[in-house]
Amino acid sequence: MKKIIFFLINVLAFFIIQVNLYAQDKTIIGKVTDKNGAPISGVSVTVAKTNRGTVTDYTGNFSIAAADNAMLVFSMSGFKSQELKAGDNIQVYLIEDVARLDEIIVTGLTTNVKRSNLANSVATISNKQLNGIAPAQTLDAALNGKISGAYINANGGAPGGGISVKLRGVTSIYGNTQPLYVIDGVFVDNSSISSGMNVVTNAAPGATTSNQDNPSNRIADIRAEDIENIEILKGASASAIYGSKAAAGVILITTKKGRQGRTRVNFSQDLGFVKVRKLLGTRALNEQNVAGMGWDVNEYKAAAAAGKIYDYEKELYGQTGFTRNTVVSMNGGSDKTTFYFSIAQKDEEGIIKGTGYQNSGLRLNVDHRITDNIKIGLTTNYIHSSADRGITGNDNSGVTFGIALSSTPGFTELHPDANGVYPGNRYAASNPLETRDKMRNNESVDRFISGLTFDALLQQSVQSNTRLVARGGIDFYNLQTDVLFPGTLQFQAVNKGTSIQGFSRNLNSNFIVSLVNEFRPNEKISFTTSAGTTQEARDFNNLLNVATQVISGQSNVDQAGALTATQFRTKVQDNGVFVQEEVLINDAINLTGGIRFDRSTNNGDPEKFYAYPKAGASVNLTRLGLFKGTFFENFKVRAAYGQAGNFPAYGSKFTSMAVSNIGGLPGSVVNIQQGEPTIKPERQTEFETGIDFSILNGRVGMEISYYNKNVYDFLLLRTLPASSGFTTQWVNAGDLRNQGVEIGLFAQPIAGKNLRWNTTVNFWLNRSKVTRMDIPPVVLGSFGEVLGVFRIEEGKSATQIVGLTDEPGYMPPIKVWGDQEPRFQMNSFNEFTYKNKLSFRFLAHWKYGGQNVNLTRMQNVFGGTDKDWDKDDNKNGMPDGLDAIMTVGSTAREFIANSGYFRIREIGLYYNFDKLGMNAIKSIRVGVSLNNYITFTNYKAYDPEASNFGTGFSSGIDVLPFPASKHAALHLSFDF
Amino acid sequence: MKKNVSINFIITLIVLSIISCKKDYGNLNGPSVEGYINNATKDQLNNLVSGTESAMRNNLSLYLDDVGVIGREIYRISGSEPRFITDLLGAANATLSNNAFYITNTWSSRYRVVKNANILIEAAENSTYLTDAERKAYIGFAKTIKAYQLLLISNLTYNNGIRIEVSDPDDLGPIENYDASLTAIAGLLEEAKTDLTGSSVTFNLSPGFAGFNDAAGLTKLNRAIAARVAVYRKQWAQTLTLLNDSFFSLSGNLRIGAYHFFGTGSGDQLNGSFIPQNQAGEIRLVHPSFAADITPSDTRIGKATLRNAPFSTNGLTSDRDAWVYTSATDPVPIIRNEELILLYAEAKIQTNSLPDAVTALNVIRTAHNAGNYGGAITAPALLDDVLRQRRFSLFAEGHRWIDVRRFEKLATLPIDRPDDDVWSAFPLPLTEQ
Repeated sequence: MKKIIFFLINVLAFFIIQVNLYAQDKTIIGKVTDKNGAPISGVSVTVAKTNRGTVTDYTGNFSIAAADNAMLVFSMSGFKSQELKAGDNIQVYLIEDVARLDEIIVTGLTTNVKRSNLANSVATISNKQLNGIAPAQTLDAALNGKISGAYINANGGAPGGGISVKLRGVTSIYGNTQPLYVIDGVFVDNSSISSGMNVVTNAAPGATTSNQDNPSNRIADIRAEDIENIEILKGASASAIYGSKAAAGVILITTKKGRQGRTRVNFSQDLGFVKVRKLLGTRALNEQNVAGMGWDVNEYKAAAAAGKIYDYEKELYGQTGFTRNTVVSMNGGSDKTTFYFSIAQKDEEGIIKGTGYQNSGLRLNVDHRITDNIKIGLTTNYIHSSADRGITGNDNSGVTFGIALSSTPGFTELHPDANGVYPGNRYAASNPLETRDKMRNNESVDRFISGLTFDALLQQSVQSNTRLVARGGIDFYNLQTDVLFPGTLQFQAVNKGTSIQGFSRNLNSNFIVSLVNEFRPNEKISFTTSAGTTQEARDFNNLLNVATQVISGQSNVDQAGALTATQFRTKVQDNGVFVQEEVLINDAINLTGGIRFDRSTNNGDPEKFYAYPKAGASVNLTRLGLFKGTFFENFKVRAAYGQAGNFPAYGSKFTSMAVSNIGGLPGSVVNIQQGEPTIKPERQTEFETGIDFSILNGRVGMEISYYNKNVYDFLLLRTLPASSGFTTQWVNAGDLRNQGVEIGLFAQPIAGKNLRWNTTVNFWLNRSKVTRMDIPPVVLGSFGEVLGVFRIEEGKSATQIVGLTDEPGYMPPIKVWGDQEPRFQMNSFNEFTYKNKLSFRFLAHWKYGGQNVNLTRMQNVFGGTDKDWDKDDNKNGMPDGLDAIMTVGSTAREFIANSGYFRIREIGLYYNFDKLGMNAIKSIRVGVSLNNYITFTNYKAYDPEASNFGTGFSSGIDVLPFPASKHAALHLSFDF
Repeated sequence: MKKNVSINFIITLIVLSIISCKKDYGNLNGPSVEGYINNATKDQLNNLVSGTESAMRNNLSLYLDDVGVIGREIYRISGSEPRFITDLLGAANATLSNNAFYITNTWSSRYRVVKNANILIEAAENSTYLTDAERKAYIGFAKTIKAYQLLLISNLTYNNGIRIEVSDPDDLGPIENYDASLTAIAGLLEEAKTDLTGSSVTFNLSPGFAGFNDAAGLTKLNRAIAARVAVYRKQWAQTLTLLNDSFFSLSGNLRIGAYHFFGTGSGDQLNGSFIPQNQAGEIRLVHPSFAADITPSDTRIGKATLRNAPFSTNGLTSDRDAWVYTSATDPVPIIRNEELILLYAEAKIQTNSLPDAVTALNVIRTAHNAGNYGGAITAPALLDDVLRQRRFSLFAEGHRWIDVRRFEKLATLPIDRPDDDVWSAFPLPLTEQ
């Protein structure tokens, strides 16, 4: 580290000598409008080949200092960029870029190209798409349905997020399946940290934590309002330069930056409510079926006579939660320094009393030009978030809301008496109303993310310029989890009160130092060479205190009769070096090649470097003169290849001894996971090819991509013969392949003076196959073949779901019942604009096919509360509930269910008042929106999106999750 | 010139990053196995001893549920886990799965202890800090525990066999059949006894081993377990010899024995077999036949207390809670005198010393106010009574199913629903096949 700082000082000294003086500048003024003459604000105006720039103001005007003959570049996302020679009072008309050909895409760690020269298909999401239709509660939820090529699945409806994002199929089985998130150059943490809920639920018997504890993932902390745009590098061909962290793809987030000019202030206020998306309803009871279940018929009769048959599902999940979100943002600056500042607070109640989510954030982004040749940019973000998540999902103690409800008939009394004493539930281990009212399960995070970008022009000549670009930052947070189940709860009869207090400290830090040389020997060809070094480090420390026999009314862990602590630490450092070369010929042919070398302390050999090469080419045929005069405005063919990796999990190489005490004697017991000293990273190679074209003057554009992604030496937590004393071991077990197609259509079907309709339609599908497997088939990610489970097996889809069958011809009696992978997905984003004032937007998402393991229904059937228990759809004279129970142990047919859906994810209607004739308020925007209001599905549980096991490989296992919710909101926004 | 400068920079950068700080953080979360095997200190060995004793309790309550449910001693009702009353009772078409928690968890937990015992043996052999007598104590203890754990696994998979030789995870020994397994377990106990003889115990055991925590005590415990194995192997004369060397006492307290200790200390465990009375949702009900079959005056009915209200689910009904473990820190017996007396009675019957058997049975019967034996003094009749006394005396301690099976009377167990089955053995876990 010291050496790097020393080196930076040297570099600084070097370029100070190198600073060039410029010719006399003068002030250029002008105005930017669209083709109808409406002013466009926020257009970036830069002087070509310098770091100087400004943006247009509210009336489309700008002023900038430039040399007389300098070229000015005008660019704005959503519009084609233009170059004009500096002159007096220039008028610029920008044309809409429906196919987004001029969008700037970051392709290297510090370099970028225009989309029209891109060798990959890179999805981008603008702030408007992210947050401008019907804002979601958290960033991860806001991504849902918006990324072509992604399979995004919410774990459940608990406030505070918890969403799995898989780009282009399953890229790892037991390794990291989630993409790397990079915000303004800072590698941010997206962990899910357990609160130790397993102590109470016993979902994984005997452990303090499990992957069934339903934590949120930390990307949810980031506020969508601050985001300018998001780029998604879906596979190794695009992300290879991120090396061994990039196998699951990279999501690059750029936050809003300051713009030169008057300080603009925006105040926006959202008010809304949240309701449960769907309730399942409960079984209609009568004396016969009450008796049939072995329930107390006399109790039923008395309750029925008193009219006290309750709908506990509705009581528990039916709360209408109030939501509000306030954001104040400011941006402005001088020609040297610009800033963006925002302060925001969100407070949303959940659909279960006592649950909810709060997020408060503070952001300051400052960009400063020290000289014409040196820029620095600082981004800082403080976040406090707090989520009360209730207790839901699988358990083996009968204590989660869902499990307790599943066997509780509506005639039994669960409400507290006049003294506030809750009756014990005769039909389950817990009284869910009592649990809800007395428990606490809070995650609270204080997080600071800060990044620094240093960009210095080291050398400049007519043909070449060289920049030093250094970026780095930290992501630091403290996470506190606070779980309390007081001793008066029905199920705390043994533990007499449980308090679980968790403290986590996480520090991610990373830096990139690179040199970028642009060499342009003539107008026809340019070379961009970049090379540099990177380092990423993570230091994580988690302390979980489990106190039982807690003194009444207390939650501090010392106020307890028994206390057990567990601590878990990880520490990783990865180092990399990279070189990348991009050649652009005639602005039509782009050739890219690069390689990155990475090592990690998590590898069996921490000193060994692994190489990740990449190469890509794109040829723009229209720019080469082909198709000239045809209806193709633009036609590009492209192909790219790249490799990326996935490091083994921390500790994979050790066989540890766990602590296991008895009678006050400290004990060591061998861990059930056997170490693998030679563990190495997974390696992914991806080949992608496609064509992009636009027709009808760019009003219709299309992108078609095919990819073939091979994951070699995938990491598998192999199941060992347990007689070895070990049950699992990390191994590099085999290879798998993902192939897929992505088709995107961008169009502007209506482009009148008053009415415009912009639409994008995406279609994508993915198929996976395990192509090599060195070990016998492994089942994982669920509860075994009886109920349906994933099985990794050579020659089969990596996400197949197998289960018992009673059909003849299967020996052993196990067959493939389904696959987590959807057959295909489609989305469509539409915006209708009337007179630039009224805007109607919606996002539709169709997931066709794909199966879940639906144990929500099974639990309700077993508990006797399933709504359709007494139906006889198959006309065999037996209630369907009984039929389902009878199949357990002989076939998994009842549990594996199609989880396809068609969903209008977001609808928004906004109106802009901009000619207010007031000095103070420049414009007012009013809007209403609905989030996740409309879903069509045949799936018989709360929502087809569910994952009992969180964000790993095995999403779609549905065990009485926190029911999904829908939001409606009113939006008010004032520009000052 | 300038181009050269930037190239120099690139080279400098690359060189810098390669030579920068070499690192390997090691294992931050606990010791590694290697640290124990290479010349362990006495403290480390003691940690392994306590770890071994402690881990014997992992999934112990599940083991007791497994054998208790199939042996029709209890119904294990769980709101979240139907397989206790489907698979284990063989409801409708349900069978025992080779990849379900009830076998995989019990199997792996017992073998984990075996592994720990093997590490303890290897560590003790390699340690230079021990006298020979001390070393033998560690090894004798480890082998005794290992044998006991193998016996429990063998109880589950019975004719499907178990693995005996498992010290090398990459080269596991074969699956041995039931008879060979018992022979190997008996052999292991003999080796352990030889080690314990003349050894010097310098490690501490939990209060559950009170009275058995020195060389003599551990030897007696070892002999008691060996007596149980001998009965399973139908080596009757040998049983009597072994009982003589154990803590067997016709006049002694029936509860004397070695136990799994439970406590609330940090990192300790609670007795998972304890559930308060009159719960709903997660419960252990006593099979109705227990109360129906017991002699009215028998005090052992106290193990099956009446509930405030009966509980029914899926065609199973009971009005009694299992009440053997009455607090979360109640110990679970490993082996105790009451069982030894009944082993003695059985061996005496089989060696045709019927009056001795009657004496032993009456010790048990009078202790529980069940009246003296009044039946026929014939081997079959007395064996029936041994089975009956074992049923009530060792209720919920993990014996009934194994006893009925070795008496070849599985067919006599009560069936609650027309299509239920009584299983004779768990399948080997999928990973072992």
